[in-house]
Amino acid sequence: MNQTAPMSPLPQRPCCMGLRQLWALVQKDLRIEARSRQTLGLLVVLGLLVVVVLGLGLGQQQGSGFQSTAVLWVAYLFSGVLCFEKTMATERHDGAMAGLMLAPLDRGTIYLAKLLGNLLLMLAVALVVTPAGVIFFHFDLSANPLAFVLVMGLSILGFASVGTLFAALVSSSRLQGGLLAMVVFPLSLPLVIASTQILLAVFRDGRPLAGGSLGILAAFDAIFLTASWVLFEWVLEP
Amino acid sequence: MRQRAGIWVSLFWLLTAGTFAAALLRVAWFTPEEATMGVIQKVFYLHLPVAINTFLACMVCFIGSVGYLTQRQSWWDDLAAAAAKVAVLLCSIVLLTGMIWAQSAWKTWWTWSPRLTFSLVLWLLYVVYLLIRASVESRQRRAVVSAVYGVLAFLDVPLVYLSVRLMRDIHPTSITMEPAMRLTLALWFVPVTLLTAALIVLRYRLNRAGRQAAAIPAQPAQPVALRLMGDAL
Repeated sequence: MNQTAPMSPLPQRPCCMGLRQLWALVQKDLRIEARSRQTLGLLVVLGLLVVVVLGLGLGQQQGSGFQSTAVLWVAYLFSGVLCFEKTMATERHDGAMAGLMLAPLDRGTIYLAKLLGNLLLMLAVALVVTPAGVIFFHFDLSANPLAFVLVMGLSILGFASVGTLFAALVSSSRLQGGLLAMVVFPLSLPLVIASTQILLAVFRDGRPLAGGSLGILAAFDAIFLTASWVLFEWVLEP
Repeated sequence: MRQRAGIWVSLFWLLTAGTFAAALLRVAWFTPEEATMGVIQKVFYLHLPVAINTFLACMVCFIGSVGYLTQRQSWWDDLAAAAAKVAVLLCSIVLLTGMIWAQSAWKTWWTWSPRLTFSLVLWLLYVVYLLIRASVESRQRRAVVSAVYGVLAFLDVPLVYLSVRLMRDIHPTSITMEPAMRLTLALWFVPVTLLTAALIVLRYRLNRAGRQAAAIPAQPAQPVALRLMGDAL
């Protein structure tokens, strides 16, 4: 219409550009998931199955409620690994990864987008699996529900940041399934140890949430987010 | 030049073997027994130096991994692989001696005490490193995957250390020792450290040789009869 306007791209500041790219990538992953509905159902059911199997296996010995942190961790770890594997596997079809790498994007943005997509899926899983684990094992959260959410949220963030990196690494190396779990589980062990100890201190010993111990989780997140973000561009392969 | 290097290598092995023998003799006959633990306490003289050397080996693995990722030269990868293998060996010794200690001190082979948990997690981390190397076929890809893992595994170590400190501790943190005991401990550091360095270097050279051997194109197989005939002629 307006013929006098110069045909130039909209002026963009680099930071907004990065955010827009990030959002576009996340949207793409979410749209794929919304249309195929392949991953989420699988993850939620796997998480629930883990909780049920452990509940049946522990039988009548449960009662103190503190098993539920262990049960939830097993559920998160297994559905998490499946989640990271699945979301990265969509990039393997039809040379999608090559397309992403050719796009004028910072490689770090690809990492952050994948991480964000994984986090959203893991949040959905946690929303279903956590109440199940808490109710089945009679874990009394009433003392400090916010602490529980904070500790588990920070832990899942750290876990997802390692998992996303290695999913890219393992998927492009055409390795057998199962290797991802073997790589991510030992690296995530400090999260399991720290979060369990913090939750025990808060809910069993009735102490307030200590900033120092929460700092370990935050430090884990910071270190692994930065390291993964830096290392990601070296591991991408079409 | 070559001969001179040979002399140094012989000297190195003489020194290692000599200090090792001296350390063994000293711990057996010239070190007083600890009052409460008795003779079992003597496992400590091996335990601590090996534990410290485990960290050193892990650090060498980290340096090799970072070096490979930044420079992409195969010798960095060989160095990291060699160090990881030695780290697993040393960490196994730490775990075993720690369990022997636990059995005599706390009457149980295993307890989830912070230090024991820490060495177990460390052991797992580097065993997985070796497994990753074994399961990637392409040499280049294997180097990248294991280098990324080597970096993250080493970054994991302080985090594991911090998180196990949240657990209840029964491990001795500071030990008051007699001067004689301290001397024995110092003496043990020498052969253990020398041996660690030697193992890493030997393993590294083996890895280099393996890589060179793999680079030689395979000779077409010659029928035995023809070869014998050729030899006869």
